[in-house]
Amino acid sequence: MTARRDETRSGLLLMIPAAAALILFTYYPIAQTLIYSFFDLDLTTDWLSADFIGLRNYLDVMQSNQFWYTFAFTLGFTVVTVLIDLALGMLFALASFYVVPRMRGILRSVLIIPWAIPEVIQASMWRWMLNSDVGPVGDILVRTGLVQEPPLFLVDQALAMGSIVFAYSWKGASITAFFLMGGLALIPSSVIESAKVDGAGALRRFFSITLPMVMPTVFVAVMYRSRSAIRVFDIVYGLTGGGPGNATDTMSSFAYKYYFQFTQFGRGSAYAVVTFLLVAAVSVYYIWQVKHRFQYRD
Amino acid sequence: MSTRKNKHTVISLIILLAVSLWCLSPFVWMGITSFKPQGTEFRIPVEYWPQEPTLENYRTVLGPRFAIHRSLVNSIIVASGALILGLAMSTAAAYAISRLRFRYRYPALLFTQVGGMVPPIIVIAPIFVMMRAAGLLSTHWAMILPNAAFDIPLSTWLITSYFTNIPFEIEEAAVLDGAGPVRRIISIMVPAAAPGIFSAGILAFLGTWGEFMLAMTVSLGQRSVETVPVTILSLSRMFELQWTWVAAGTVITLIPLTAGVLIFQRVIVSGLTASAVKH
Repeated sequence: MTARRDETRSGLLLMIPAAAALILFTYYPIAQTLIYSFFDLDLTTDWLSADFIGLRNYLDVMQSNQFWYTFAFTLGFTVVTVLIDLALGMLFALASFYVVPRMRGILRSVLIIPWAIPEVIQASMWRWMLNSDVGPVGDILVRTGLVQEPPLFLVDQALAMGSIVFAYSWKGASITAFFLMGGLALIPSSVIESAKVDGAGALRRFFSITLPMVMPTVFVAVMYRSRSAIRVFDIVYGLTGGGPGNATDTMSSFAYKYYFQFTQFGRGSAYAVVTFLLVAAVSVYYIWQVKHRFQYRD
Repeated sequence: MSTRKNKHTVISLIILLAVSLWCLSPFVWMGITSFKPQGTEFRIPVEYWPQEPTLENYRTVLGPRFAIHRSLVNSIIVASGALILGLAMSTAAAYAISRLRFRYRYPALLFTQVGGMVPPIIVIAPIFVMMRAAGLLSTHWAMILPNAAFDIPLSTWLITSYFTNIPFEIEEAAVLDGAGPVRRIISIMVPAAAPGIFSAGILAFLGTWGEFMLAMTVSLGQRSVETVPVTILSLSRMFELQWTWVAAGTVITLIPLTAGVLIFQRVIVSGLTASAVKH
């Protein structure tokens, strides 16, 4: 009994540093942001001397078209990037199993590079790649005769949206591929072989055997990627800065503008809280689904 | 038979080339740009190979005006500092969660894991205010301390799953000798779980290395503390017409990173996949 009490005491003591760090830099800031969101607050004033305005920030936010536009763009961005990540990731993962064994290692090494480069550096690289005067992407499109003039990738509204999605999926497809490789490796090759013997074609085999069997991994990848996509900031900030206008601003990048450009901490906090609730909703759904689906494995 | 085998090799080669084109083209284009004399990067028609290759851009970004290596050093200081602090705290927490029979171990695990789901935008303003109040803006500490905390969820998760697989017997002798938990962690658990701690460390290091929002916010444009991502972005913003410099800076800072990632590739992939399959 005393041994048990001893273990409880050392357990709690060992938890103290990590718990303190998390409280200081995660839990307390969440509470603080929530409090900020009820005040008319700017960058330099202390919230204790600011005016309490209740839900005014939220009401203002809800009544602005910009909010609903940004909200819709963030959700749309998330859905589209996750779908592209999945499609490309699946292609890459299948390719890595298809290629002859001695190329497999090189293929995986190449695939990990987009994941490893810091997101904001990717953004700056894509800004140069997509430059409308001398960017190779536009130039190649012109040379192959697909377009007359190099497209204004970062200036035209629709193209800017597409560019953000593309740049984000460039990284996302890689990491999704690695998740799916893990899932594909678990499928017993005898299952595929017997389907081959039964005369099922490659597409048929993929949709009626491989895909259903890899579904749990697909689910994990979708959740992982959508949580990152909803909170996307770096690639937006670095590639378009939210422009043209605010056309490619996401919830995070817009909140950041309110904080440090318009220096309205109260309004920015309201945006941040809404972003947080969105991510939390996805996370809760994820935990609930995992419990629900994978229970039988325990 | 052998023609079929040849066909397989040829298709594999085509796939490999296509994937490489997709994954490496921005990197390669940066490399090509970095060898063009400054000013020629805007020549039309686009030069796909530098006509008069030069190392001048590298001399410029390494010179006194930009001193890009200082950003590399800053990134190394910040990422290593956060890594050491984060791993120490995570190892202690993981030991409590996986090896000690106490009532709060499940809440403790939950407490560390929920922290990992928080988007940075909701913590950035209070952390900025906190660092301003502490007088730590434009210092390495303003990046090291929060990043150490941000490392905890993933590191604790990975180290806990390693600790769980170590048999309890190996601690018994030490318990009989009267060794306390801290000594048992340092002399028994850490060596036994070294691969797991190592993989947690690499992911933590890369996470801090690529972190941007906090680094930009708390460094306040102070070049002496800026990390690589902040410097590269501000270069590309400041010098819209000098992309050869931006390119040289990007190449210099990406080479050590890519080399490291390729060396530790296997560890990274296994750690990442484990991190996503939490429950």
